[in-house]
Amino acid sequence: MSRRIILSALCSLLLYAICPLPSALSEAQGTLDRSKQPPIGKAPDLRVPTWTRSKLANGAELAVSERHDLPLISFSITFLGGADQFETADRRGVAGLTAAMMSEGTKTRTGDELSNALQLLGTSVSVGVGSESGSIGFVSTTARFADTLGILADMLVNSNFPPEALERLRAQRLVALEQAKAQPGAIASRVFPRVLYGDAHPYGWVPTEQSTKAITRADVSGFHERYFKPGRALITVVGDVTPAAIRPVIERGLAIWSAGGERPAFSYPPLPAARPTTIYLVDKPGSAQSIFAIGLPGPPRGTPDYYALQVMNTILGGMFQARLNANIREEKGYSYGVGSGFGYGKGPGPFRTGGDIVGDKTDAALVEFMKELRGILGARPVTEEELRTAKESLVQRLPGTFASVTAINGAIGGLWLQSLPDNYYQQYTKSVMAITADDVVRVAKKYLDLEQLAIVIVGDRKAIEEPLRATKIAPLTYLDIEGNPLRDGQ
Amino acid sequence: MKRLAAVVSLVVLNASLTAQSKINIPFETYTLPNGLTVVLSTDHTTPTVAVNIWYHVGSKNELPGRTGFAHLFEHVMFTGSGHVPYGVHDRLTEGAGGMNNGSTSNDITTYYETVPSNYLETMLWIESDRMGFLLDSLDLAKLDAQRDIVKNERRQRVDNQPYGRVFEILSKTMYPPSHPYSWPVIGSMEDLSAASEEDVKNFFRLYYAPNNAYLTIVGDFDPAQAKALVTKYFGEIPRGNPIKRPVVEPVTLSSEHRLVLEDRVQVPRVYIQWPTVGEKNDDRFALSVLGAILSGPRTARLTKALVYDEQAAASVSAGQNTNEDVGEFMMTITPRPGHSLTDLEIAADAVIERLKREGPTAEEVQKATAGEELSFLRGLESNLGKAFQLTNGAAIHGDPGYFRTEYQKTLAVTPADVQRVANKYLTAGRIVLSVVPPGQTGQASKPAESTKVP
Repeated sequence: MSRRIILSALCSLLLYAICPLPSALSEAQGTLDRSKQPPIGKAPDLRVPTWTRSKLANGAELAVSERHDLPLISFSITFLGGADQFETADRRGVAGLTAAMMSEGTKTRTGDELSNALQLLGTSVSVGVGSESGSIGFVSTTARFADTLGILADMLVNSNFPPEALERLRAQRLVALEQAKAQPGAIASRVFPRVLYGDAHPYGWVPTEQSTKAITRADVSGFHERYFKPGRALITVVGDVTPAAIRPVIERGLAIWSAGGERPAFSYPPLPAARPTTIYLVDKPGSAQSIFAIGLPGPPRGTPDYYALQVMNTILGGMFQARLNANIREEKGYSYGVGSGFGYGKGPGPFRTGGDIVGDKTDAALVEFMKELRGILGARPVTEEELRTAKESLVQRLPGTFASVTAINGAIGGLWLQSLPDNYYQQYTKSVMAITADDVVRVAKKYLDLEQLAIVIVGDRKAIEEPLRATKIAPLTYLDIEGNPLRDGQ
Repeated sequence: MKRLAAVVSLVVLNASLTAQSKINIPFETYTLPNGLTVVLSTDHTTPTVAVNIWYHVGSKNELPGRTGFAHLFEHVMFTGSGHVPYGVHDRLTEGAGGMNNGSTSNDITTYYETVPSNYLETMLWIESDRMGFLLDSLDLAKLDAQRDIVKNERRQRVDNQPYGRVFEILSKTMYPPSHPYSWPVIGSMEDLSAASEEDVKNFFRLYYAPNNAYLTIVGDFDPAQAKALVTKYFGEIPRGNPIKRPVVEPVTLSSEHRLVLEDRVQVPRVYIQWPTVGEKNDDRFALSVLGAILSGPRTARLTKALVYDEQAAASVSAGQNTNEDVGEFMMTITPRPGHSLTDLEIAADAVIERLKREGPTAEEVQKATAGEELSFLRGLESNLGKAFQLTNGAAIHGDPGYFRTEYQKTLAVTPADVQRVANKYLTAGRIVLSVVPPGQTGQASKPAESTKVP
């Protein structure tokens, strides 16, 4: 039972910052004045890892970053573009299914043989395709690197997509979709994007029973053929390596991966016409809690307002002590935890706030969410301390970005995907620290239009409908658990 | 989170002698006159420190009718203390780009921070203040607020979660009502409501004393200075009263207990659980390997048989769960549509019976343990990961360096060990709990023999 919503225990989401400078010991031991907070020494400079860049003969870019404290290597190939660029609406889910099929066998190894070989190497190769990017990679000990890379290359190039494996994976996905219908949180996560983006925008698409059933083996092999190309790929190697020694190992290991592919265009259709703020109620009879997902489409990652938005969101809902959680969890006790955030991507990713709310506080909690949103728009001025804490928090969590070989690998890939410069992290602190309270209110007003919010609530309609109506916050509309309007509004 | 995933391989031993030398966490340990155990380990890779305190108290130290205290206390510990107002802790951790959290189990309650290393003294100030002066600022209003949050946590994790009640039912069935492992860590709504301010304060006075605590600091600091700071902040906190540990008897089930629970689920699922052993019994190493041989990778026996070959299950898992004094081996099977829990239970039993009869192959044991070196090395990348290893060893085994023993004992597991523990523990005395959609008790495994859980 964790105080916060489950941090995946040991590792690396953790945080870090900056070097030691011992604060002076109190000379008066034994007469310790505990009412005084100890002095905090000076924070040291940020240590950002460096990496070299080059290009392989097949067109893939290569970035290598050295870190020799442990005999570990993190390897990945990151692909620019994902399901939103390479899937069609009626085959939603083919990207994920293809990624899973790459572990099901190659021209020379069955799925079991691939699995056995990787188990004996003590590692696994993971493949995934998200909405705007994809990757294949592994972490291994230094000694096992070349052997593991050889298996990765076989999966990348020679996958043979056995039909019976496709049927098995399809069946598993259909069960998962069925199970999601029982989970109020999963329902909210499916319904919310559909409400925001509709069916014409890839951001509104989710795999459905229908699309999952429609996918053929030809769809999968076709996706594989089109997508996993060096022309849109960055290879990152981080850990116990040197650029000079590892490059030939990579070239040899990936020799069978031939040139092709280009960077996709990220052109999205226009957003659906904005609608006035509405409560979209999804009935989940008997639910002890109501799941809130409140928001609207936001700006792309490339927005010049990025830093101001980050500071704004940190104050509003980006930390445990942020306004939303301080009020709705800590003060009112309506929830185990609430927060907010932007889903930055190449297009207008969503701003979403919400959480799991105790059922009979659904109406009261909505009032508080609206109050805090109005607050950040200017009704409650940002204090100096809020501003300072938010900025410090953003800046000082940076060393955590480099705490493990996997984290460094992700940081390098992340910059590349968003076309950010290699010196991004060196500039980051300055950009964040420049944000003012006026900037915070300005971007809140610009991006959080309270007249155009989608308020998705999944809960026990019988119990929460009338209280919600009585708040007079917005009209109610009724959706089924897939996000389709209920006939006659009932 | 309090232990390594599983195991290590014979191959690893030979193949990577260089890496073997890296299976280490250098540390020093000592005890203050008031009984506080301190473990220090420096690592200057990143300019941060992790601070981790374990109090050797969990839900098993509670009494029936007064459950949920240990976990409720975990929440109260974040509401400020005598000299540290509410909010300061978060401001000085999260607000400094760090983090803080806590967690409660049947056995222990742990608190931890990771912060920039120039915040080390500040963390010791906060942790010592809540160890020594928490009650100075605790009143009924504070207690009530945290009680509500815990009730929400219970709603979110148990009551509103499909299959969320399963673990409570299994514990209640496995252990008699007076047994310290029979009630859930989070407690019951009734007990949480019934806790008086004085009950809660007495619980704190006894268990949150330095003689019941273990403090570990890992990261970028100077040991001499850290020792001086630890003495400065913790040295004057008085030792508490002696603690009487609960007597935990091992349990066995004389027969099979078959249950069916109706829950708001779409897909039925069966949970099968056997009583096994706790942290201090070395059979747990072979039981962990047994779990990895049965489920996980596609070639694992249950996974291969039920998910791949027969394609009757959407998923299957099996593994050992180890607490300090007791443990359980649990198997979970979710069917594909059109397949019954009854058929799946029979098929799974056949796989287990064969393993009991023939034992695993050497390669199966090798595969199960080959990943251990890598997972251990990855754990060493984080200060907090190292801190957990050290504190677990200190608190449960009296040796912060217990991770080495754990690693070696895992390496040493043989096919014969696995066969032996399978025969010893996976016996007829077990719980079979089916979870089915409302009104569908007929979907239970062997429904006629299963008793409905209210």
